Amino acid sequence: MFNKVLIANRGEIAVRIIRACRELGIQTVAVFSDADRHALHVRYADEAYHIGASPSRESYLRGDKIIEVALKSGAGAIHPGYGFLAERADFAQAVLDAGLAFIGPKPSSIAAMGDKAVARATVSKAGVPVVPGTEGEGSLSDEELLAIAPQIGFPLLIKATAGGGGKGMREVKSLEEMPALLRVARREAEAAFGDGNVYLEKLIDGARHIEFQILADTHGNVIHLGERECSLQRRHQKLLEESPSPFIDDDEELRRAMGEVAVRAAQAVGYVNAGTIEFLVDKDKKFYFLEMNTRLQVEHPITELVTGVDIVKEQIRIARGRQLRYRQEDIRMKGWAIECRINAEDPYNDFMPSTGVLTHITPPTGPGVRVDTGVYPGFEITPYYDSLISKLIVWGETRAEAILRMRRALEEYRILGVHTNIPFHQRLMDSHRFMAGQFDTRFVEERFSLGSAQESVETHPDVAAIIAALVAHRQTQRAAQFVHHNERDVSNWKWVGRWERMRR
Amino acid sequence: MNVRYVATINGTDYLIEIVDDRRVLLNGQICEVDFAAVGDQPIYSLLLDGKSYEAYVYSQEDEWQVLLLGNLYSVRVEDEREKRLRAAAGGRVMLRSEFHLKAPMPGLVIAVPVIEGQRVQKGDVLVILESMKMQNELKSPREGVVTRIRVAAGDSVEQSQTMLSIV
Repeated sequence: MFNKVLIANRGEIAVRIIRACRELGIQTVAVFSDADRHALHVRYADEAYHIGASPSRESYLRGDKIIEVALKSGAGAIHPGYGFLAERADFAQAVLDAGLAFIGPKPSSIAAMGDKAVARATVSKAGVPVVPGTEGEGSLSDEELLAIAPQIGFPLLIKATAGGGGKGMREVKSLEEMPALLRVARREAEAAFGDGNVYLEKLIDGARHIEFQILADTHGNVIHLGERECSLQRRHQKLLEESPSPFIDDDEELRRAMGEVAVRAAQAVGYVNAGTIEFLVDKDKKFYFLEMNTRLQVEHPITELVTGVDIVKEQIRIARGRQLRYRQEDIRMKGWAIECRINAEDPYNDFMPSTGVLTHITPPTGPGVRVDTGVYPGFEITPYYDSLISKLIVWGETRAEAILRMRRALEEYRILGVHTNIPFHQRLMDSHRFMAGQFDTRFVEERFSLGSAQESVETHPDVAAIIAALVAHRQTQRAAQFVHHNERDVSNWKWVGRWERMRR
Repeated sequence: MNVRYVATINGTDYLIEIVDDRRVLLNGQICEVDFAAVGDQPIYSLLLDGKSYEAYVYSQEDEWQVLLLGNLYSVRVEDEREKRLRAAAGGRVMLRSEFHLKAPMPGLVIAVPVIEGQRVQKGDVLVILESMKMQNELKSPREGVVTRIRVAAGDSVEQSQTMLSIV
């Protein structure tokens, strides 16, 4: 059994894992790139080692170096977090081969779920419904895909076989536009994953993205911790998640049915540790298996808040060979939790990523508020990694209380130095459709805009006008202390010279 | 004499007269104000007739961006003299300077879907830049003609590097 854990990650998730280790009395080892010497995970860990240059392929993706550091530092286990090496079966295998524990599933489960086509074939054999598409067909040529497409029907999605996070994904409305979109998707998949293989999937209209959190120990116990609603996305990137789902709400029968199917899907690959089964749910509450994420999810805290289970600690216990501390009947969802992903991006400029030094941060505090972050004032947001600054998570007794609390927390949150998407979340909290729970995966892109008048909220242009005028007035007055405004015929430099002579 | 400003938001003018440190006139209506910068930050606290507001204010090009209660307002502030001068010049006659598309952050150029001499409309994609694991479309802020393309697909660019120009 291990007493020291190496965290093969950075940012807020590395900090989250260090916290869990601390509470369990486990020593922690951080690794870092050139850009992250001053990062919070390096400062929080008991030990920290440099592993390479800033680009992730030279640092956080260097599995060999990370295992070397683990052996050198005497760590007995590696926690991969999410992203980077978290879903690489070869890395998990190399960790085991080095005599270390991998805090995650078996390499064979990662491999089975990692190839989307194999995953779909495996779970559908176990009686789990899947979305119609070219499941389990392996890598098909463009000609073959174009021939199959009309049978699946339009609209459909082109997805990367090795994919995730929206990379290499394209929506196709007709056969005519399909060849061009295939080229783009393959190119993007090739660039992102080194694998240009794609498959087709029927696009489900009005679909909701709902996922179930799974925990499985090495003794054959598999339970689920209820669902998370993840339909609010932009370009297939999740922006806001909540638990429970307002769509399932008090339909215990649907929750039980989906939970059972999720457990069955995990068992189909002999799953161990924490994982997530993603479903698409259509208007008629028919649900289909989408994919399994064989790792800790970004949005795991909302499940922690409604179930009271510390998922990261549970992951470590499972990796230490312990039995789950919970049976399915022990799991009760209490209240409502919402998470907003606070990203360094400009919602007023097409969500363009924003980099720079964070000059000031005032995080929200008070009842029911949790902030998971890896940054602090003075830290620089660099272009090397993703734009997640922090996760703002709130809990309320009811969904209404959670929304009001999130509004309050967003208003308190001040981050200066980079643009953030906080105004986007504020507007979302005011949206009537969001409040009513009437949204699907297309809502953000098709029905929601920051400037839209239909989602009307109280505005204060008069107050903004006064503030701008007062700021401008201050600036003019300050400038006037150096140079008088009305003497335009003389250059400013001459004035500065005269002013300096006068002071001598 | 009061200093008079005209603040314009979305085509609506607000006449603001500074009476003294504690009073302003908004379109002729007297308001009590208590205005303070918070710390050394571009955050301002305004007590307006007792009501407390807080805003994040920064300048962008020739406008003030005011982020207030989750809404962003672009405010053009002119003193009356500037406003009169602009009106006398016919209002619409704006100096049409060249626009230089600069990289908003370091990254990799994925594609340049325009060619030199091409006429583009506002919102047309000029360059696709990959940074922070995302492909970002950099769009034209106005219509014009593309000139002097300095980058090609596959190039790495530094922050603020000029990639092309629009005239």
